[in-house]
Amino acid sequence: MRRKIMSLVFASILTVSALSGCSNSSSTPKGSEEGTDKSASSGAKQTDGKNLPQLTTEPLTITLWDISTEDPGKSNVEGAVKRFMADYPNITVNQVHQQNDNYKQQLVVAMSSGQAPNIYCHWGGGPMAEYYKSGFANDITEMYAKYDHPDFVDAAVAQSTYDGKMLAIPYSGLTGCDIFYNKTIFSDLGLEVPTTIDELEDVCDKLKAKGIIPFSLANASKWTGSMYYMYLVARHSGNAEFDAAYTQENGGTFTSPAFIYAGEKIQEWVKKGYFPDGVNSLSADDNQDRALLYDGSAAMMLHGSWQVSGIKADNEEWYNKNIGVFRFPEDSEAKASGVPQNVEIGTAIGMGLTFNCFKKDGSVDQEMLDACYVLATQYFNDDTYNNAQFSTGTIPSIKGFNENIDDPNNKYIIDEFFKASNVQLWYDQYLPASVTEVHKNCMTELFGLEKTPLEIGKEQDEAMKKALKE
Amino acid sequence: MEKVEKNSLAKAKARSTAIAATVFLLPALILIAIYIVYPVVDTFIISGFKWNGISSDRIYIGLENWNTLIHDSMFWKSFGHNLIVMVCSIILQIPLGMLLATFLDAGGRKFNIFKVIWFLPYLMSSVAIAFLFVYALATNGGLVSSLVTLIKGQKTTIDLLGSAPNALFTIIGVMAWQFTPFYMVYFIAGYGNIDTTIYEAAIIDGATRRQYLRHIAIPLLGPIFKTACTMSLIGSLKYFDMIWNMTQGGPAGTTELMATYMYKLSFQQFNMGYGSTVAAGMFILITAIALFFNRVFKVKEDY
Repeated sequence: MRRKIMSLVFASILTVSALSGCSNSSSTPKGSEEGTDKSASSGAKQTDGKNLPQLTTEPLTITLWDISTEDPGKSNVEGAVKRFMADYPNITVNQVHQQNDNYKQQLVVAMSSGQAPNIYCHWGGGPMAEYYKSGFANDITEMYAKYDHPDFVDAAVAQSTYDGKMLAIPYSGLTGCDIFYNKTIFSDLGLEVPTTIDELEDVCDKLKAKGIIPFSLANASKWTGSMYYMYLVARHSGNAEFDAAYTQENGGTFTSPAFIYAGEKIQEWVKKGYFPDGVNSLSADDNQDRALLYDGSAAMMLHGSWQVSGIKADNEEWYNKNIGVFRFPEDSEAKASGVPQNVEIGTAIGMGLTFNCFKKDGSVDQEMLDACYVLATQYFNDDTYNNAQFSTGTIPSIKGFNENIDDPNNKYIIDEFFKASNVQLWYDQYLPASVTEVHKNCMTELFGLEKTPLEIGKEQDEAMKKALKE
Repeated sequence: MEKVEKNSLAKAKARSTAIAATVFLLPALILIAIYIVYPVVDTFIISGFKWNGISSDRIYIGLENWNTLIHDSMFWKSFGHNLIVMVCSIILQIPLGMLLATFLDAGGRKFNIFKVIWFLPYLMSSVAIAFLFVYALATNGGLVSSLVTLIKGQKTTIDLLGSAPNALFTIIGVMAWQFTPFYMVYFIAGYGNIDTTIYEAAIIDGATRRQYLRHIAIPLLGPIFKTACTMSLIGSLKYFDMIWNMTQGGPAGTTELMATYMYKLSFQQFNMGYGSTVAAGMFILITAIALFFNRVFKVKEDY
């Protein structure tokens, strides 16, 4: 009997060890060591003549994590590292491309086991604050003020800042969020691009009458449904009610009118069949929403502007012929009462690079930090890098790039982005991590008609209050 | 004199056995200590802290996490899902596995091809199975929806993974698809262990095939049953990988299991302290249930 008890104990022990026993295993370090070429011998660097810290001439190794596992992003970030190592042959950058899916968890594991990379990418928002508070992010406010850097747009600087401290260098471009639509279907049915929510509903009804699904949405991913919620809140109340709910002060709550309005609107739309059947089991990771757009069963899709390069990569000809874009329509009632209608959803930095350069005793490793700063501001974000990004449909978060854009949809998205009075970062990046989880579940329940807008508002309030207390 | 010598010989033998045993057991013991005992102990220790998993300072808060755990409706809801999965798994997988094994055992060699085919699902990795079924069950162009559309002649959407309570039962079905073959092989081995003389004796005594199965073979499989149930029980209580890849606990937490909840807390929500508490809680619950099961279903081990 005793032996049996022991074996049972061991069997269930395996469960627990699943948690503690994990380590960061699967990363395949990809050192780009072949990069030392001619420019090094001539001594001319692309950073010559700029106001930058003097970098060490001693050997130095920097580990960098990004999530660019696929081209064109991959060769672009590798190119930046190569150019840097060519100019500074004594510095080795160990660049690791992590899988996006589990990246946040990988990073947490690496940090907790003392294996955190010296430079890592992230989406800003709540997690960035968490990294900083835990001592895995250098404050670069002074360096940024003292040395040269690309002329980032203000919103990008704002999103790289937490508590008045600059913590990241943007590198993956502006992302807007707008409604992509099938121009052919619209012109066949004689539909106009809607400018108010009433007009939008009118368009939806007409599409529905023709048997076409108005919105393609894959809500298994949850952040996709959140886009509708965010926009309806923003159109109904600008930033005011969300900002209040975020602090939970002065009566701010996720049950305030704009949130109820957004929730009710969404559920009304679900009931009217504006979204595909089984919306909660379609996943945006597999591009199942795009698929509905492709085969003509759906006519519109509210999504991030990365869809431009995505759809283009799938079939450029089809894209040019069929895809147009318009901004989320205005709430005419709210507009009449003076609510700004130009708050947009999106991100001004895409992703940022944050530095984690500390010595064993916890003091800042300035030598390494200088090198990281030069790498991130001068090789990432240099002309070669930016132009490569630009040519694939991503707009760098740097002033001036919004000028000559040739893709009309991208041009439209970026213009709206710059016209915005405020760019609200995605809730699921902006909110604290524990609230994000609740918010995402609420989106499932909202679109699945399982809970009322009031109920999900209360749940989000509760999570927010708990997170604020910590 | 002689006696003393004998004694010292015995002693020497005992000593050398002890040394040999130590040498052979040590590597395993060290590995168990490092990868199993230490993490478990550490999990319990971490459960006493408020810790986000990355910061160097953890704050000791005693039993506060445990207090939260006891009042955490989400944890108990997940535990409830685990229990449903457990009961359904035992009801589905073991009889099915047994049925297939009986069929194969009766068929003998000529059914070997079925043995191979039916065993295939178990050889696939859980992640691959998860993706396979996510695509097959997709509402948009998935196998099931498309088939029903074809039969009915009008567009029909069968939403198996995106709505409650379908999702949980769909997952139980997929788990059964994956694990039944394991129990099948287990029972085949069990049948193989029954002495052929017993079978011969039964036939000579005039027993039919059915009577042999009903009164001799199945009772003899008793201990195997019990072990299979215990394995299925523990397996379904700590299940993680496939469910994570199919639904991540969604829609809206209706397929959340203790393990997925623990993972989310620890690695997505920066709450390693409480995540560890959930893990430790799981450990206690699983051990308790398994012990209880073993106590209640006492089957005689020898026959």
